[in-house]
Amino acid sequence: MKRLVMALMFAAAPAFAQSDMIAQGKAVYDKNCTACHGADAGAGDRAPAIVNASATSMRGERSDAQLLNVVRNGIPGTAMPAWGNRLSADELSSLGAYIHALRGTALDAPLAGDVARGRAVFFGKGGCDSCHMVEGRGGVLGPDLSNIAAIRKAVAISNALTKVQHRVYGDGGVHLPSPPIMAYEPVQVVTKSGQVLDGVMRNQDAWSVQFMTMDGKLHSMDRSGLKSVTIRSGSIMPTDYDKRLSADEFKDLMAFLTRQGMRPAPETKEAAE
Amino acid sequence: MRLKHVALTSLVLLTPALGQPSINNPGPSGEWTVYPGSYNSQRHSPLRQVTPANAHRLQVKWVYHVAGSRELEMTPVVKDGVMYIPQYNRVDAIDAKTGNVIWRYQRQPASTAPYRGTSVYDGKVYIATSDAHLVALDARSGGVVWDVAVDGGRRLSGVAPMAANGKIIVGVLDQPDGYIQAYDAKTGKHAWTWHAIPRPEDPEYKSWSGNTKEGGGAIWMSGSYDPEQNVIIYGTGQPNPPYSNEVREGDNLYSDSIVAIDVDTGKLKWHFQTTPHDQHDWDAASGSQVLVDAVYEGKPRKLLMHADRNGFFYLIDRTDGKFLRGNSFIDDMNWATGLTPEGHPILLGDGAKPSIKGTLTCPSTAGATNWPSATYSPETGWLYFHAVEGCGVNFRSSVTPGAGTSYIESPDDKTKWVSHIRAMDPMTGKRMWDVTEVRSNHYGPGLLSTAGGILFAPGQFGHVAMLDAKTGKDLWHFNTGDFITASPITYMLDGKQYFAIASGTNVFAFGLPDAGGKP
Repeated sequence: MKRLVMALMFAAAPAFAQSDMIAQGKAVYDKNCTACHGADAGAGDRAPAIVNASATSMRGERSDAQLLNVVRNGIPGTAMPAWGNRLSADELSSLGAYIHALRGTALDAPLAGDVARGRAVFFGKGGCDSCHMVEGRGGVLGPDLSNIAAIRKAVAISNALTKVQHRVYGDGGVHLPSPPIMAYEPVQVVTKSGQVLDGVMRNQDAWSVQFMTMDGKLHSMDRSGLKSVTIRSGSIMPTDYDKRLSADEFKDLMAFLTRQGMRPAPETKEAAE
Repeated sequence: MRLKHVALTSLVLLTPALGQPSINNPGPSGEWTVYPGSYNSQRHSPLRQVTPANAHRLQVKWVYHVAGSRELEMTPVVKDGVMYIPQYNRVDAIDAKTGNVIWRYQRQPASTAPYRGTSVYDGKVYIATSDAHLVALDARSGGVVWDVAVDGGRRLSGVAPMAANGKIIVGVLDQPDGYIQAYDAKTGKHAWTWHAIPRPEDPEYKSWSGNTKEGGGAIWMSGSYDPEQNVIIYGTGQPNPPYSNEVREGDNLYSDSIVAIDVDTGKLKWHFQTTPHDQHDWDAASGSQVLVDAVYEGKPRKLLMHADRNGFFYLIDRTDGKFLRGNSFIDDMNWATGLTPEGHPILLGDGAKPSIKGTLTCPSTAGATNWPSATYSPETGWLYFHAVEGCGVNFRSSVTPGAGTSYIESPDDKTKWVSHIRAMDPMTGKRMWDVTEVRSNHYGPGLLSTAGGILFAPGQFGHVAMLDAKTGKDLWHFNTGDFITASPITYMLDGKQYFAIASGTNVFAFGLPDAGGKP
């Protein structure tokens, strides 16, 4: 939570009103809700989580309106009281804003800063574009970041830039819909003919390995032709951007990154042939 | 009759820029980079590792589950060892040798609407989104190279974006009217829109009269590309309302038509209408536009072959759209007696007009054939396609002009739907062989042929089969365990020929065993 609050402290200008409301909402939550739902709404002793901490989307969860209805009216037959009479309208809406921010991604509360200068850092001093794409430009060794703010929280983006132990991918051990892609782990492949290839992992099984070399070329190799495959955990990405960049540059880069994404319109029905 | 083939080499040489598939690919590299495998839509591969002599040894190489999808209608493409599996809002890129996933692109929301293909071209993979965008992804990483809102704001149909001479060709359905669009492959910039239902300034606007110009002309399918003429050759859907044709007198161009459109300008070069004033929803889009260079009546010709949903096969000169010959390719047809020298249907009575009590209509609205791919083999000189015998019953709800309508499969055992795989000599219309499919009454899936003499023929109920292209003899079969609606591909990778097809929510790849016997 500290990290989120720190992230929110960057918020200013157009996002100020929103972040102000979120801070108010947190105060309302801490006073009234923590006892049952736990800190950060991640489940307490007497009531379930309101926010799934590991989820990167709100799909399948109650909408903001549905959730606020529950807060207002309570759930009859359970310990959940109706808060409609106990909290003011302002308190209720700020509580809604707080929970929305907890459940949302960076795009819901993009950080303040100079976006144009942040773009210049991305494609310049930061060197981010040597591995990542944004706005249709950049490298292919790392994940495309065109939609990063729609799938990650601001704190997760900040962690990826500054903390050695950050989670790039993964849903906390929950059942995955299909075998996941590997997480860009650094790999060195040595063929039986002595060729040494450095790159990042895409996939592997007992008989083959799929990886991308530093030149952006994809390979699929049969293990029978390889002398060794050495995979390191972690990432080739540096995690000291808070030191490589000035405080302003880092802030501007975060302002740029927390705006990379879109929320497309819901699907419309179309006839089938 | 074996056809003499001419000018194939010159076609290859005339293919414009590097990195484009030639009209005759998959080509020596054995890739399958556009929806029909090659620009000519022959769906014929030069690969010959699998033959009638060894096809019985085929085995499954891998299966890839497209989690979250619904019965796939998609044909994958393969380039540089990577297979691309497109959906609305999504592409899965997998190692075409092992089936291991390499990257996934998922734009929100997840969509299960039918989507039929993509092209890999200029280092990018192209898909439509459910919120009316067109997206180009870096083929190596899935990174978004461009993502543009489409011109006109209408959601694109699920046809494969077709790459042709620097353009990406897409289309929309018929509500209210169909059109084809081109976008710049490098930037996503809109280049042109061609309207299937003429605007007032178009001379064929007069082919609609009565009190309605409701439209139609859905672009259900991508088509072919002729690099020599620099035209795409596409089919269009039915006019609207589909059955109550009294409110739209005239031929209703360019519905149910094969159209040749200049890729640079978007201008119509020629059109050929298969079903003028259609009253049975027989989209000409639902049939492959197969381009063949061959000798016809003693002269080398640039031909177009098309088996139509209305039951007729058409041989057309693709330089000007002139009809050369045609024939009914089904046993029972009750709406027309034949074709005029211009290729127009000669109606039988009122052409089986839908009625309140129900009108027996042969073929049915589901079609004598439909969108899953036909294939042409230069080795045999024959066209292979799914033909559905049997009839439908077409109803209208009242005598009111424009009344609602519906159709069902004929309840009579003698005219129920039965699917066949059919080999036909396109120069004479002669049926060369015919395989009746057990249980299937469906118009699909698609077919492909190979220089190895194989006809890859998946079946509706999940049984894929390899047939001898010369005889139709069953060489090998396998049960995938789910419905098949898609069209198949074949490709060569590290010395091995693969066949792949989507079945249910999975993609299967087949090939011969390795020397050591491992998959």
